[in-house]
Amino acid sequence: RIQERQGSAAPPCPSPCQCEEDGIFVMVDCSELGLSSVPTNLSPLTTYLDLSMNNISEIQPRAFHRLHLLSELRISGNQLRYISGHALQGLHNLKVLMLQNNQLERLPDDAPWDLPNLLSLRLDANLLSEVPAGAFRGVRSLRHLWLDDNSLTEIPVTALDSLPSLQAMTLALNQITHIPDYAFTNLSALVVLHLHNNKIQSMDARCFEGLHSLETLDLNYNDLQEFPVAIRTLSKLQELGFHNNNIKAIPERAFVGNPQLQTIHFYENPIQSVGKSAFQFLPKLHTLSLNGATQIQEFPDLKGTTSLEILTLTRAGLSALPLDLCEQLPRLRVLELSYNQIEDLPSFYHCSALQEIGLQHNQIRRIELSTFQQLVSLRALDLSWNMIEWIHPDAFTSLHSLIKLDLTENCLSSVPVAGLGGLTHLKLRGNTELYEAFSPDHFPRMRVIEMPYAYQCCVYGSCDSYKPASQWDTEQSNTDEDLHKRTVAMYPIHADAHYDPDLEEFQLEIEESKLQTSVQCTPTPGPFRPCDSLLG
Amino acid sequence: HKQIPGVSSGCQQGGCLTCSDYNGCLSCKPRFFMHLERIGMKQIGVCMTSCPPGFYGTRSPERNTCTKCRSECDSCFNKNFCTRCRAGFYLHLGKCQENCPEGLARSDTQRECVS
Amino acid sequence: RPALRAVIKVALLNHDPTGKPITLEGVFVGGSAGYAEGKLMQYHPLSLCNTSEDERQESDFITIVKLEHRVPRCLPLLDKARMALDKGAQAVIFDVSDDANAAAELRETDSLSRPVVLVRAKDAEQLMGLVNKNEEAKVRIEIMVEQPQSLHYDV
Repeated sequence: RIQERQGSAAPPCPSPCQCEEDGIFVMVDCSELGLSSVPTNLSPLTTYLDLSMNNISEIQPRAFHRLHLLSELRISGNQLRYISGHALQGLHNLKVLMLQNNQLERLPDDAPWDLPNLLSLRLDANLLSEVPAGAFRGVRSLRHLWLDDNSLTEIPVTALDSLPSLQAMTLALNQITHIPDYAFTNLSALVVLHLHNNKIQSMDARCFEGLHSLETLDLNYNDLQEFPVAIRTLSKLQELGFHNNNIKAIPERAFVGNPQLQTIHFYENPIQSVGKSAFQFLPKLHTLSLNGATQIQEFPDLKGTTSLEILTLTRAGLSALPLDLCEQLPRLRVLELSYNQIEDLPSFYHCSALQEIGLQHNQIRRIELSTFQQLVSLRALDLSWNMIEWIHPDAFTSLHSLIKLDLTENCLSSVPVAGLGGLTHLKLRGNTELYEAFSPDHFPRMRVIEMPYAYQCCVYGSCDSYKPASQWDTEQSNTDEDLHKRTVAMYPIHADAHYDPDLEEFQLEIEESKLQTSVQCTPTPGPFRPCDSLLG
Repeated sequence: HKQIPGVSSGCQQGGCLTCSDYNGCLSCKPRFFMHLERIGMKQIGVCMTSCPPGFYGTRSPERNTCTKCRSECDSCFNKNFCTRCRAGFYLHLGKCQENCPEGLARSDTQRECVS
Repeated sequence: RPALRAVIKVALLNHDPTGKPITLEGVFVGGSAGYAEGKLMQYHPLSLCNTSEDERQESDFITIVKLEHRVPRCLPLLDKARMALDKGAQAVIFDVSDDANAAAELRETDSLSRPVVLVRAKDAEQLMGLVNKNEEAKVRIEIMVEQPQSLHYDV
């Protein structure tokens, strides 16, 4: 580290900056020093210069003209309003230029910045309301451009024509309202395009022509009224977002031009209708979630969308499920179909990877033997708020991984326990005809159980062995001794020995003292909910 | 020496709007990024104009945050697009891979696939 | 349902290993009462907001978060607790001294896979004091069981 060393072979370090040798070169950090101008005595061997978070309001001409080897220049967090082309003269090797968090109102047009090797340009968080046509003529090698958080009202189409090597760009957080045809026609290398948080209402049908390499398109948080059919030309698209818009329908064959799609985020749209073929032939799609599309009456045809792992289709109008659902979706892990009108269930036999099923708030009446057979990975099954009257005695026998079963608010008078030995959570509240007191032996791992009646909790020792703990009072445990006794009671084998563990014994203690966790059964019996059933 | 170029940690640094002794910055001034910096067992909030190496910034109307790049990237534009790779990896169209596509060679100095 | 109380035993790793652990108290959240042990690791209240923050810890750790009422919640506390447990925490400790609503928000919950404990006042101050000085500590959480007394119901 060079700290204002003078006179030796090392390059001089301008005061009060801090410098760090990098072989024969030097890295200079002048950030957060209250500087109002660029230090003058910078060494020509400077490769990294950080001037961020100072009070620099203008860059004197030729400030960097000797810094031919400078690779990274940071001037973010200052008060710059304008930077002329002359100010950046001489930076032939500059690769990274950070100008974010300034007050730039305009960019040079006739004599633009001449930075032939620039790869990354940060102009985010400034006051740019437009980008002149010639602004980027001198940065033709640019790959990454940040223009987000400015005041642009339209796509800078002509300026972007000068950037054939651009690979990633963000125009997010601006005031753009429309995307015209051929807006990005020269950007054949563009892989990522962020347009989120603008005011985009409409897009011309050929606005994305030319974006042959685009993989990520972010249109979230705009005001789109129609489905963006312009995406049809984006054959390489993998990630698409248009959540938080105003789109009411997804057309038939909506993604026919995007076979590489892996994720589509479109929640928070008032989507009412969805073309039955909208999500066909998307072999790489792994998540599909639709909430509140009330006009969907039929389950979508997912032919060719074979990698789906998460399917959420809630608050729609489904009344039945296709019998071959699992043949189409063999990799399904999460199936969430709550708040529909489903009456009969197919067999989920071929969905062997299923871990979670949500069928709450439907109109299911019966659970057959085959319904959940062989779902050996199923961990959570929510059938609450249905009309289930009957469950086949062996319906759950193969559910070896099941830990959570919710049968709240159904019409059950009995529940088959075969196969439910692994449960930690069981909910039966609201089954008013279910009087049986299940023995704890059926559920050795139970932690939380909800019963229709309090007396059914008595088998869990919830009736007389518990003194309601005082409210969580602020008084501290008065002496370590007192606390010590209370916890010792938990490990009878130590009743006689003096309990003063050091770290090794602390480890040993852990193995011996695994405590049986208490089961929480509700409703908790009490004076008005006695243990003996009033009905005998 | 500042832990992160461009910003000092703790409550007194420039971009902090609200602050607490235990958590560092709780909120940042407009247009600053909130970075959650881990120092041993501690994790404090730090406000900055650009995220530290290995992190990228995401701007939104409510809050600007720093998020970790993929492990094979030294710097990135977003979660799926790297701008510079870690040693042993080579950049091609935003991806850091151990090998280059056919027709391109590995450049160790630039850590890129070059023609 | 009465809240079960927790005993928190803290052993400082960089100090005399035979020293007596510091013993503190807290309250378990809902049905999460249980046993846990690991290294103490602080998380900022703005962390644990989305799963992509893949800050991986190597060994067993116990997460501690000092909640601040001035910080808007990116997620409900229950989801934050679950996210911490999903990221490998053996348990989660919330210091609720400066966030009066936290305790109420977490009172009625059952589906937590490992212990979640609320601490405040002197106990919280002592724990956060260690964190602030970056004193590496191993923490053990146990259930404090009150001596049961027989109950009479006058029916």
